[in-house]
Amino acid sequence: MELPTQYKPEIAVEHVTMQFRRAKDEASSLKELLIRSARRAHKTETFKALDDVSFTVDKGEVVGIVGTNGSGKSTLLKIIAGALIPTGGRVQVDRDKVQLLTLGTGFDMELTGRENVYLNGALIGYSRAFIDANYQKIVRFAELEGFMEEKVRNYSSGMVSRLGFAIATAGDSPEILILDEVLSVGDLFFRQKSETRIRELIHSGSTVLIVSHSPSVIRNNCTKAVWIEKGRLRAMGEPGKVCDAYEKKSGG
Amino acid sequence: MADVRHRKRSQYAFVIQQLTSREIKRKYARSYLGIVWSVLNPLLSMAVLSLIFSQLFRRSIENYPIYYLTGYILWQTFTGATTAAMTTLADNKPLLLKVKLPMEVFILTRVYTALINLGYSLIAYVVMLVVFQITPKWTMLLSPGIFLCLFAFSLGMSYILATAYVFFGDVKHLYTVLLTLWMYCSAIFYPVEQLQGFILVVIRNNPLFLYIHSLRQVVMEGTPPGWSVWVQMALWGGGLYLFGHWVFRKNRNRIIQRL
Repeated sequence: MELPTQYKPEIAVEHVTMQFRRAKDEASSLKELLIRSARRAHKTETFKALDDVSFTVDKGEVVGIVGTNGSGKSTLLKIIAGALIPTGGRVQVDRDKVQLLTLGTGFDMELTGRENVYLNGALIGYSRAFIDANYQKIVRFAELEGFMEEKVRNYSSGMVSRLGFAIATAGDSPEILILDEVLSVGDLFFRQKSETRIRELIHSGSTVLIVSHSPSVIRNNCTKAVWIEKGRLRAMGEPGKVCDAYEKKSGG
Repeated sequence: MADVRHRKRSQYAFVIQQLTSREIKRKYARSYLGIVWSVLNPLLSMAVLSLIFSQLFRRSIENYPIYYLTGYILWQTFTGATTAAMTTLADNKPLLLKVKLPMEVFILTRVYTALINLGYSLIAYVVMLVVFQITPKWTMLLSPGIFLCLFAFSLGMSYILATAYVFFGDVKHLYTVLLTLWMYCSAIFYPVEQLQGFILVVIRNNPLFLYIHSLRQVVMEGTPPGWSVWVQMALWGGGLYLFGHWVFRKNRNRIIQRL
């Protein structure tokens, strides 16, 4: 293209293909495997979760990814975050800069709120010192003062997701932030508060990828949108246009 | 670069520590005595077995309760570690796919949890050593070396089992049977001297028996294991660890896809 030679995008997804080999109702037990290999009935079918997807994200861009359930969005995120290795193509990105935010990752119902803050924080990638320093801030944001020594089992679902959100967004914005369906948590007041927090994170200059199947979230927050359907890149560009096309197609 | 690596390492250590504390808290979440069970269990088991067998083996084993307890705590550590680690990838599936952590962390956590449990069992063990008036010996200082070999051996086994379990759920049941066989071949509650022939050869070459026997030697008899025994123990531990990790690495991508 007409790009200068020194140009280097923050994230470059290059012809990424992800193939899962699914044996037709695969042998899930040793017995089945033995019987099947005896009969030589090893049928496998390949299934493409992503098919030759390419796009780039520049530094500071806020990119929204839309698509119906099962279209390959989360697979793509996992590949970008480095949890999956694609079968074809590659993704160029500095993995140490990437932070994937998901709500309540590894919450344990049998532990107290306080214990979950440390466990969840550790899994997200916060250090102990960081959690110690930000503990009060997290509790206050989640509006759970006085509940932290209680087991999460006794929380309401709203309380759980508030705590999840507070932990996930407690950090300074990383250089590349990936948000997997985190914007629609709690009651109306909390939702406003959480959207404000997300906007803060987004506008502090980091590169952001947002995954959502709600186009309004993408319209309100993004500078660019990518539409993925059945593993293929359907459209890319201005959020308004891409979202219109997506809504028209999905009968919304 | 080295700084980044160091930061990652210490973060993994923090995660393992958090996950381990979760495992332990969860295990005793709904019991009154909680962690005390980790100390109580080996004692109760020792009491039961001694009640039944100490008469039977009175002539051949001196201090039967300690003989049994020594074998029991090592055996429990091994089975506890491996059976828990076997299912860890499946148990933590939602986490694994979302978090930017190497899968090894989850296997290490379960083995490490078993090691912490060994620590609690050792409290019971030391109390019993005092009760049965086992005199302290310098050779007892060698026991951490045995624990280290056992740790490596359990970790290697865990890698293999965790990998296999992702593909075949049956491994769980097969392993239970294997463990029963393995237990009887480890001479935990009976004297080896009464056996002969083929089975004796099997037992003498059983790595777990090696660990148990060496611990009995350093604690009860005060004789350090010979060099060849140390080499054997280290080779079993190190060898299985390397092999297990290799199997795991080789199947890493297929594991993720299968999950």
